[in-house]
Amino acid sequence: MSLRGFLHERWSTQVTLLASGCLEGAQRERALAHLKACADCRREHDEVLALLHVVAQDPARTATPNVAVQYLVTRVEARLDSVIRSRPWRWATLGAGLAIGGLVAALLPRLMPGPSPSQTPAAPAVAEVAMDDAALRRLERVMAREQAVRYLAEAADVMVNLNAQSRPCPREHAHVELEAEVQRSRELVSRRALLLDLEEENLLPARDVLVDVDNVLREVASLQSCSRRDELDRVRREMEERQLLMKVRLLSRELVS
Amino acid sequence: MRRLAQGERDALQPLMERHYRRVYRIALAYLRNPDDALDVVQETFVRAFEHAGRWNAGSEVAPWLTRIAVNQSIDRYRRERRRRETMAPLDEGDHDDRLGSGEISPELQAHGHELGARIDRALRSLPERQRAVFVLRHYEDRSLEEIAEALGIRLGTVKSSLFRATHELRRRLRGVWS
Repeated sequence: MSLRGFLHERWSTQVTLLASGCLEGAQRERALAHLKACADCRREHDEVLALLHVVAQDPARTATPNVAVQYLVTRVEARLDSVIRSRPWRWATLGAGLAIGGLVAALLPRLMPGPSPSQTPAAPAVAEVAMDDAALRRLERVMAREQAVRYLAEAADVMVNLNAQSRPCPREHAHVELEAEVQRSRELVSRRALLLDLEEENLLPARDVLVDVDNVLREVASLQSCSRRDELDRVRREMEERQLLMKVRLLSRELVS
Repeated sequence: MRRLAQGERDALQPLMERHYRRVYRIALAYLRNPDDALDVVQETFVRAFEHAGRWNAGSEVAPWLTRIAVNQSIDRYRRERRRRETMAPLDEGDHDDRLGSGEISPELQAHGHELGARIDRALRSLPERQRAVFVLRHYEDRSLEEIAEALGIRLGTVKSSLFRATHELRRRLRGVWS
């Protein structure tokens, strides 16, 4: 590299910072004095200014969201609801885990070969086991509700995203991109089948809403990741006609309480 | 903000009305996708609500929200990059060069914003830190010190990132003005 090239390289950062309006005082004066003496740096300075002039015309600088602020507020509130709903679930799961641990610890000595019958009075043991069964049923009820709350929170996230989704699919003309929602719906449908029994007594009051949510998710799960806009609109209409998001929110509150 | 810190959701709307456009523009300048930018607006205000208690009452709200918005944008970009990497492995380097060289967001294409599309491609070609520094300096008019604080990096790193970003953008956009 020539001496001239070496010096130019050294000044390059300063020239960029000068054109970007980031130099002040003595540094700025030094850079300006250098520009007067160096044609390469002057050219570079002009190029950076030209670049910044181009960037100043970027439409993104003046873009405004194509949705009303009220819509965004609703989205934020829905998201906060889902965050809040997921928290009691986590704590309750921890509590349930500890309770199960406690039950196992209490029952284990009875299941293991123990002392002779003459040393263990039969009647009190039966009474204690009966009490533990009741606790187990309560625990099952709590867990079923928590699973339902979690499922509803995650389903609500998918439905909020579907309502907000308008991203065109880059792979097909006049289609919308639904890959994330389709994938999530498929996961939720499988998980619901595994963890939530809709005929279970504990969930009977929630059954209708759970069935509606399940149907919508199945419908979304059956869509292509690149779907026609009218297919998405059909799902949206169904959610709206059934007022599903509102019902999910109310039911979740009820189940949590 | 005080009401927000006390968990009052009614305080969200006035805060969002005042700042959501700016937060959206930061996210859009960084991510170059309107839908992703809206998601970042949402997550920025969710975080603001959750962490309102940490906001220093003596400081301004706008830089605090800017910091959250930039970090949310970077997080989202990383998630998206990971998702793309899972679908098809990229070449070495921490930026998505295929996006930079080829893909123009469909929204920009549809509106025929040729200039926006070219800037879109050029900005997307930058590594995440350089892009954040450039956006904060030239879209948000933040000082180098403010950028260093927002991104949690040293002043020297901000300067070198700004220089590299400018150099790369000059190279990619030279045809626009010459």
